[in-house]
Amino acid sequence: MIKKLYFGQYRHKETILHYLDPRIKLIYVMVLSILVFLSKDTYSVTIFSLFIVLCILLAKIDIKTILKGLRSFYFIFIFLILMYIIFSPGQLRQGFIAIWRFLMFILISLTLTFTTPIAGLVAALERLSKPLKIFGIKPRNIATMVSIAIRFIPVMFINFERVRESMLSRLADFKKMKNIKLVVVLMLHRMLKSASNLSDAMYSRIYDENVESSKPLEFKKYDYVSMVFVIILILIIY
Amino acid sequence: MISVKNVYFGYEEEFVLKDINVEIKEGTFTAIIGANGSGKTTLAKHFNGLIMPDKGSVLVDGMETKKDSMNARKKVGFVFQNFEDQLVYSVVEEDVGFGLENLGYGYDKLKCVVDEALEKMRISHLAKQNVNSLSQGQKQLVALAGILAMKPKYIVFDEPTTNLDEKNKKNILNIMKELNKKDKVTIVLITNVLGEMKYADNVVVLKKGAVIFNGKKSRLNKKIIKEAGLGD
Repeated sequence: MIKKLYFGQYRHKETILHYLDPRIKLIYVMVLSILVFLSKDTYSVTIFSLFIVLCILLAKIDIKTILKGLRSFYFIFIFLILMYIIFSPGQLRQGFIAIWRFLMFILISLTLTFTTPIAGLVAALERLSKPLKIFGIKPRNIATMVSIAIRFIPVMFINFERVRESMLSRLADFKKMKNIKLVVVLMLHRMLKSASNLSDAMYSRIYDENVESSKPLEFKKYDYVSMVFVIILILIIY
Repeated sequence: MISVKNVYFGYEEEFVLKDINVEIKEGTFTAIIGANGSGKTTLAKHFNGLIMPDKGSVLVDGMETKKDSMNARKKVGFVFQNFEDQLVYSVVEEDVGFGLENLGYGYDKLKCVVDEALEKMRISHLAKQNVNSLSQGQKQLVALAGILAMKPKYIVFDEPTTNLDEKNKKNILNIMKELNKKDKVTIVLITNVLGEMKYADNVVVLKKGAVIFNGKKSRLNKKIIKEAGLGD
């Protein structure tokens, strides 16, 4: 269980993808997500999939870890296919495309979070969301919210596991709605407590929404090379 | 000096702290002890303005926390009981730099201070690690490094050994002693374990939100400890 929790969490490695500017990576995530939606025929799906596999290999992400981490999604994939088989058997191909898109979204996000430390993401989000200042939205608040969400996903799972185990040890039957409701309430309680502790800790370390991340960001040769690759991908597919 | 003057604090209508008067002098090591629910953590959170008193005042080097909580927090670092929730960023060195970022440090200076803090805690080898992959003892040291990096004059440790094994407990107590004796940092230790106050000069004993003892550790006797609900 614990190993599964670190699925998609940052790992420090010496790879080109780790060196890329976090801003450019965020932009790529957006561009690639649009491309996923535009890919419909076998040719574009194959090229796109190969590109993502290349990214995963370049980032030195362990394939076994990905396959294990994806186990939780297998149920959704099977469910989707079953729905297509039952309700529209003639459109099974579309069903596979839908699953493929879902899988690609997961892999794109995984590559981003695996290769980018949270402080880098915060700095990038801050810089990219600067225009929102016009509407009175503070970029640091957005960046901090995202970073905390990523940081606390494993903590949430650990809490879930603790609640589940403590209930199982007292013979709770999870087929009963009452017990499922109880898990939700207990989880909410723990999460709110964690949020309260975290906000105290942030105030203690004088969190200031007006301060900008000091992490220097600058485009380097890797970023320009990667741009060429992504442009080539777009041209090949379309 | 941290001065707590006639402080009352309550949730809803019940007072958790009643007429508290405590002084934490610079360079001292003070242990605040009491049974569970005696108000130790609530009192400690007053020291850096995380909680404001309903009545009375808390002054940090003459500044009232109600008027200037930000400056109080710069001077008083706080190591929380649940250090898991204290870590904001996922990479060790980034988390240690969080407070410095808020203080407006430039990147080079920040990096230098972070390295120094990690070195002091002897966890430089963990700098690039994901905090979720660390042991409880290591997480505690990262949380402490994050506070030390901000160079506070006072550090409050809220039951720092609760989730630690014997080896890590000993380590954290030695670090507190070293910070106090070598670096002249004023230490406030919140605990309900009597053995942990061995390095303390002064002791404050709380019972049901009131101070029942405040003085030199040598003056503390079994009767008071028993009254606080801590002895046999």
